[in-house]
Amino acid sequence: MKFYFQNKPVEAQSGDTIAAALYRDGQRIFSRSFKYHRPRGLLCVSGKCPNCLMNVDGIPNVRTCITPVRDHMKVKAQNAYPSLETDWLSITQRFDWLMPVGWYYKTFTHPAMWHAAEPAIRRVAGLGEVLSSEPREYEHFWMHADTAVIGGGRAGMQAAVKAAAQGGQVVLVDDQTTLGGQLRYRKRAGEMPGGLVQQLQALPNVRILHDSYCFGLYEDNLLGVLQSNPHPGTAERLIHLRTQHTTVATGAYETPLLFLNNDLPGVMLSTGVLRLLHLYGVPAGQRAVIVGVSGATEEVSMALRDAGIEVVTTVSAEQVVRATGSGCVQGIQTQAGSFSCDLIVVCGPRVPDAGLAAQAGAKLTWSRERAAFLPTALPSHVSVVGDAAGETVDNIAPPLPTSKRAFVCLCSDVSSQDLCDGIAEGFDHIETLKRYTTATMGPCQGRMCQLSAIGVCAHETGRSTAETGVTTSRPPNPGVTLGALAGPSHHPIRRTPMHYAHEKMGAVWMDMGDWKRPRYYKTDTVSEERECVLTEYRAVREGVGIIDVSTLGKLDLRGPDCGRLLDKVYTHRFSDLRPGRVRYALMCDEGGIILDDGTISRLSDDRYFVTTTSGNLDFVYQWLNWYLAGAGWAVHIANVTAGYGAMNVAGPGSREVLNKLTDCDLTSSAFPYMACRQAEVAGIPAIMLRIGFVGETGWEIHCPAESSEALWQAVLEAGRESNIRPFGVEAQRLLRLEKRHLIVGVDTDALTNPYEAEMGWAVKLDKPDFVGKALLSRAANDLSRERLIGFVLQEPGLPEDGAAVVVDGQLAGRVTSSRHSPAQRSAVGLAWVKAPQAQEGATIDVRVDGKLVQARVTMQPFYDPEGGRLRQ
Amino acid sequence: MSFLVPCPNCGRRSVYEFVFGGELKQVPALDASQAEWQDYRFNRTNAAGVQTEWWFHRSGCRQWLQAVRNTITNEVLEAFLPGEKH
Repeated sequence: MKFYFQNKPVEAQSGDTIAAALYRDGQRIFSRSFKYHRPRGLLCVSGKCPNCLMNVDGIPNVRTCITPVRDHMKVKAQNAYPSLETDWLSITQRFDWLMPVGWYYKTFTHPAMWHAAEPAIRRVAGLGEVLSSEPREYEHFWMHADTAVIGGGRAGMQAAVKAAAQGGQVVLVDDQTTLGGQLRYRKRAGEMPGGLVQQLQALPNVRILHDSYCFGLYEDNLLGVLQSNPHPGTAERLIHLRTQHTTVATGAYETPLLFLNNDLPGVMLSTGVLRLLHLYGVPAGQRAVIVGVSGATEEVSMALRDAGIEVVTTVSAEQVVRATGSGCVQGIQTQAGSFSCDLIVVCGPRVPDAGLAAQAGAKLTWSRERAAFLPTALPSHVSVVGDAAGETVDNIAPPLPTSKRAFVCLCSDVSSQDLCDGIAEGFDHIETLKRYTTATMGPCQGRMCQLSAIGVCAHETGRSTAETGVTTSRPPNPGVTLGALAGPSHHPIRRTPMHYAHEKMGAVWMDMGDWKRPRYYKTDTVSEERECVLTEYRAVREGVGIIDVSTLGKLDLRGPDCGRLLDKVYTHRFSDLRPGRVRYALMCDEGGIILDDGTISRLSDDRYFVTTTSGNLDFVYQWLNWYLAGAGWAVHIANVTAGYGAMNVAGPGSREVLNKLTDCDLTSSAFPYMACRQAEVAGIPAIMLRIGFVGETGWEIHCPAESSEALWQAVLEAGRESNIRPFGVEAQRLLRLEKRHLIVGVDTDALTNPYEAEMGWAVKLDKPDFVGKALLSRAANDLSRERLIGFVLQEPGLPEDGAAVVVDGQLAGRVTSSRHSPAQRSAVGLAWVKAPQAQEGATIDVRVDGKLVQARVTMQPFYDPEGGRLRQ
Repeated sequence: MSFLVPCPNCGRRSVYEFVFGGELKQVPALDASQAEWQDYRFNRTNAAGVQTEWWFHRSGCRQWLQAVRNTITNEVLEAFLPGEKH
């Protein structure tokens, strides 16, 4: 296998991670530090420290020590220029005295200073940049289990076998490619109990997730799990894993010791050295000095000797003065003398990784015996096993720095001196110290530094470690890519049943919520929007047009108490609506504010057909059901929006066209305005409503979605001789505006009541009770605020929606809708104005293209004010 | 937020299936003062502790239910259909 590092090819062996292959290839510096651009090399080799973050195939901050090599991947260093080996910005460490702890807060005390310095600081400090990359696919996955075990080491596997024996579904989450945890690389830590892996793999009720890490344990045992490369073509899968019980078996991780130059490449944790050696067959050096106290030094020493690495000496942590070397380790200075070496193996204190348990509510309590914080007071749905519970952890007291300039926090270059300064400045609580110095807040989320920081804080403040305590563990930890959280790049689209018929006829689409609607139609001869809209307009006014209105919300209400419910929720009265009749329906909230409008048709004694605006269906459905909840009324509400398609056939020629398709008597005496009938149209069962949003004779026809396209085509066919034209939303908006019909949410806002919108006729205050009555009763007599008026512009021009209305030089309102009206031969519109201007014939000024243009106020529709055409 | 709501119709389901409907409040009488109506419409108790709330099971049974929830821990102690609390 081959991949590219800084554009140069690097060979890799099967099973290699990126960092292992690079280390074998001789790379020693893997990153430059956040603030001082100090060289950093491999430390933990387990994805727990920030030292190996690189850009992989355009993705920044990838932990290369746990990321397997894929053929031809492109790996680039971050935060270093011109190269990792020579980073000009490492000059900043010479000026560290200029940048003490809290430097930002103390220096940039004025916003202007910060704005001036920010671009430069962003270039100098920081982690990776997001480079443009190939689009990556992510997916979300939902999983349920009785027990989740986090960690595939010995304790985790044993817990999984035990849980599986009880018969439930078990999910085992392991962040490695192979089960085994530390037993995979600590050859002397003990043998894997015979056949444990095979036993686990054979259990039908155990599901093992490899290459997956758990980044958070949330309320009610929801685990966030991120799985890498779940299948070809998908980069990451976010698993929402819900369980009854969670067993945390995340083990313990090793942490660094504090001496001068403890961050030099070549200073490596013993577990990191063993991982490199036993997982990838890469010796970390030739001459090693081992630093540490515990029995671990012996184990490491033997392992290194077995691998042919010379162990120069073993020293205890307190004896170390400094690591020496420029760029990487060349020796170590100790109280027992100086030694030349190319590897310093640190056997640091081990920290039980119980963050998940803490997120679930467990306390982390200091155990003097094990010198570690152990999870206690576990909630009943969480247990902790193995080293995460401190099983084999036997540290002595947390290490104290042998140098003030040892790095505690590798993520943001915080030294033990910085911590002491922070404490001296009064930030002596571990939580405030964390926020002030940013120690434990970097990419490693405190894994490498928290114990050391607590040790320093306890020592400086004279408190005990137990009193000092730990900072709060919060998810996500480790971090999660935004892409994984966002999930698949998929936007839902709703298409009406006639969608593809529109497409064939040249529809130009617009989005309305999730719906696609034709804005207008291009034809062979006309393609410019204004021309198309005018042609469609004329068809409706002079001949016949048809529009797809399937996006309307449609509710089918059945039951003896429908009338009661509708009387309660809508402002009009519906219990007295005769079967076969339609009424305009206006819905207000308790404050009398308009929420929605539509039509309500009574199909039979106990069946009503309700339409809502396209965008408000969900809300209206919930609102109606809320008033039903616990009321004891016999009403069943079915949402038939997707089940029915709908179209409006309108224009003086519409009757002639529909007569060819239905036996239903369409004459005005048999089927008057605001009537409804259930009839067959073109052999398709339909509900016909004679209503007129666009102001002409017309029928809104609802029929089953599966037949809607057939009906649409049948109407077009029947209308061919009459030159029927489909019309889009833009023409409909113009047609309705000429009729002064308002659109809820366009011409109304969160303060609009029906009286101010000239819709008082739709409110029946004589009903005993309905939603909004209390405040509408008051509003009915108070029109002193604003009114919705119509205006006709007196000069050429077209105000934009939202344009200002000016009276006597003062702002007096705003335009909500405006179009050029063919009927008025000038621009017309709706506007909110102050009450004194709301009079027929009053004059207002409207801002058009930056100039004030005079307009005449009218309270009448702009077209057919008597409504005679609707009733023809 | 990831807690489960014990829907009386559907069982324990993710909170993301539900629409929050606010705390349970007494609707003022028709002749209540404007101040009482405004209090009802705009003010919230914002309880830190146990309160009864409306939830709509949008992606489930599409019913309104009432749930007793501890707003500090997000533990839902019980949930029932309106008028069916025992």
